[in-house]
Amino acid sequence: MTDDGPVSFDDDEEARMERALAEAGYDTELGMEMAKDAQRVAAGELSEAAFFDRYHEDVLDDFGRDARELPELRDDVDGEVVADADDPDGIRESLAAIADDEGVSRREVMKKGGAAAMALSVFAGGGGAAATGEDDESYDGTRYGMVINLNNCDGCLACVKACEQEHGTSRGANWMYVFTYEDENQDGENFLVRPCQHCTDSPCTKVCPIGARHTREQDGLVLTDYDICIGCRYCEVSCPYGVNYFQWGEPDVPDAEIDDDHQIDERGRWVGSRPPKGVMGKCTFCVDRQDGQMGEEKIGTTSCEDACAMDAIHFGDLNDEESAPNQHLEAYKQAHQNDHSDWENRTDDIVSTFKLMEERGTNPNVQYIGNEPSEHARQVEGPVAYEDMGLVDDRKQEVLDNGAMATDGGEEA
Amino acid sequence: MSADVSGVSREVLVRPIQSRSKGYLLALAASLGAIGVWVFFYTQQLEHGMIVTNLADWGSGGGVPWGLYIGAFIWWVGIAHGGIILSAAVRLIGLDTYQPVARMAELLTIAALTCAGLFILIHVGRPDRLVTSVLPAWPTRVQWSPLMWDVTVITAYFVLTATYLMLTIRYDIHRLRDQLPDVLEPVYQALLIGYTEKEDAVVERMVWWVAFAIIIMAPLLLHGGVIPWLFALLPSMAGWSGGVQGPSFLSIALTSAVSGIIIIAAAFRWAYDWEELIPDVVFRGLANWLGFFSLLFLWLQLQQVVTGIFAAPTTLQHATEVKLSTPVYWVAIGLVGVTLAYVFASALKPSLFSIPAMVVASFAVLVGTLVEKTLFVVEGLQHAHFQLYDGVPGTYVPSAVELSAVLGTAGIAVLFFLVVSKVIPVVELHAIEADHEEVDH
Repeated sequence: MTDDGPVSFDDDEEARMERALAEAGYDTELGMEMAKDAQRVAAGELSEAAFFDRYHEDVLDDFGRDARELPELRDDVDGEVVADADDPDGIRESLAAIADDEGVSRREVMKKGGAAAMALSVFAGGGGAAATGEDDESYDGTRYGMVINLNNCDGCLACVKACEQEHGTSRGANWMYVFTYEDENQDGENFLVRPCQHCTDSPCTKVCPIGARHTREQDGLVLTDYDICIGCRYCEVSCPYGVNYFQWGEPDVPDAEIDDDHQIDERGRWVGSRPPKGVMGKCTFCVDRQDGQMGEEKIGTTSCEDACAMDAIHFGDLNDEESAPNQHLEAYKQAHQNDHSDWENRTDDIVSTFKLMEERGTNPNVQYIGNEPSEHARQVEGPVAYEDMGLVDDRKQEVLDNGAMATDGGEEA
Repeated sequence: MSADVSGVSREVLVRPIQSRSKGYLLALAASLGAIGVWVFFYTQQLEHGMIVTNLADWGSGGGVPWGLYIGAFIWWVGIAHGGIILSAAVRLIGLDTYQPVARMAELLTIAALTCAGLFILIHVGRPDRLVTSVLPAWPTRVQWSPLMWDVTVITAYFVLTATYLMLTIRYDIHRLRDQLPDVLEPVYQALLIGYTEKEDAVVERMVWWVAFAIIIMAPLLLHGGVIPWLFALLPSMAGWSGGVQGPSFLSIALTSAVSGIIIIAAAFRWAYDWEELIPDVVFRGLANWLGFFSLLFLWLQLQQVVTGIFAAPTTLQHATEVKLSTPVYWVAIGLVGVTLAYVFASALKPSLFSIPAMVVASFAVLVGTLVEKTLFVVEGLQHAHFQLYDGVPGTYVPSAVELSAVLGTAGIAVLFFLVVSKVIPVVELHAIEADHEEVDH
């Protein structure tokens, strides 16, 4: 997860990289070879010229561009500088420029760049991307996510309320939601804290007919462009987690009460705060905070995290070992070491972690510490009731009554 | 078994265009009234937002974000199918028996696709953005979003059908020009722009190819493709995903489409005394098709039920059990089942057959398929794989706003036929002048 020089290819990393390459739709074998050789270059075992000599044509095939249009990939086998090691972002920028020229998503081109982008950024960046894990070769280093320690949660709903307050969501649109549940193999009350999982392979972005629901390239936030969303709700039905909340009527908080700083992100797109009428909303991982619009000190924090007095929610860059989520997970593991005195082959720690419904193939960016609810888990009344916190939707009935919209008749469905 | 209606005169063919009746005005008033009711309710939705529907968020909201609107959308696309498939089959494989109802079937396709498109418009939260958001996004999103595939295929289907209809209408209008009302002269002139009799042979070949495209595209890509894929491809809802949805949706499309044709054809036959133009044999044939498709429908339901309850994953098992314990599901199955029984019985004992009874059976099938499809959408969303949400129960009963849209679109379909039947012959000239090459030579 760091930039500290070439990284060894242990089996685990190799497997992950293979998977990432396969998903990018690129020739996995070639990509693996390139990545390995790129590291040899970085380690001084292989000359740059020899590297480019070896892979030049394949790289060009992959980008479908003439060499002169990609300075970093220029044919220069005479040993001159072909990739600027001081500018690790050079290749990414070139890819981005291609994307802009072609009028396609940068992320798509990055993905298409596949193995070459990965291999070359290893080379140019001194090993960074190879170590960044699964699918994040398309991000520029940041991958926002959470580690939520369910063992710490006491179900107080402070996070749910804080989220509602900060984003001005309408009643019942609980972008953050906390389940209290009983389960067969767990005693007493258990909790599941459910923000949007900001999946790397998010079904919602895939099915959106117009690309309003999208993944922000620079940090992996899954956001909704309120300016173009048509309100078809296909994202909502495709999401296995049920994190989407449509704006069925006029929002509780009028537009005039929300600053642009909360709403418009650093790209100038309207993705923050509650959605307008007829448009889809969901947890944004406090995009306004991440863009520094709420102040420097709030970058890398979320309102639910701030509100949590139990230290359960930890938000940050999952690609940064020093980030809050990674630090918390590490510290928690350290505090719960396994006893190796009798059986030395035991795992290092006794911490149970999981990702929610990972088998759906969504690759979520929220990791949980604690036990995963089983299929027998049953939601029960929590220590704090949603009604008491004013977090249950009763507007619908009001509108229906006041609007004199009769709801009698009709088939039972 | 073939219908020989070649002895019928042209006067009979153009009877709807020339006649005036109180019944017609009554039907016109009824259809406009139905549309009016819907427009009244829909303005409420435009004003207040989707909150006037009984739709709500699934999950912690305990509701369903897709409901009757989507169910009715699927239903209309299904009805749209049969029409043109039947007409294309007449042309491609010589099912001449159905020639007298071929054009009504084509018109039904146009009307039903219009209603389906209207349901997309009604369903979305921001209908004003349908053009501004969808068109620019098309080139990049069509490779990803099943909803975009859907819009694309339906549009292509609409264009093909309209082209098909337009090409065949010119032939008739040119030859029937004397019997058509002068007041509509500008319309006919527009329809006949550039027409010469030399084009007939070319048009004949063009129409064959269009029919060929339609007959491949409709079952494989539309109701056996993009419409079921809207659901079948999503792993999030237990009752939705899986390969059986394609065939299942197609069976529903074909049953409701044949039902639609039976109703329309019976209505014209009754209104204009067209016993000789649309003889019994046409209805008997259509009834057999309806029976066969109903059998397919029930068989595919059986497949889903058995695989859903025997040793299914818990979430699918739960969803299936809930479906089976929902009375309205059995109403839907029962309506189709009774139709099937009637069709088979009248095949064994022809004296049982009557056109009014077939019309009743067709309405039963249309109600049954609409209920089944709406239930499919709703129950899918109520029983997600994420079972913890079962703790947030919710019911969905379509609101008056939603129900009025079904009424309104039915009104639009009726109005469409009322208007079109005053302008062009709703039965092809080919039907009564079998070898049209000889007609003008």
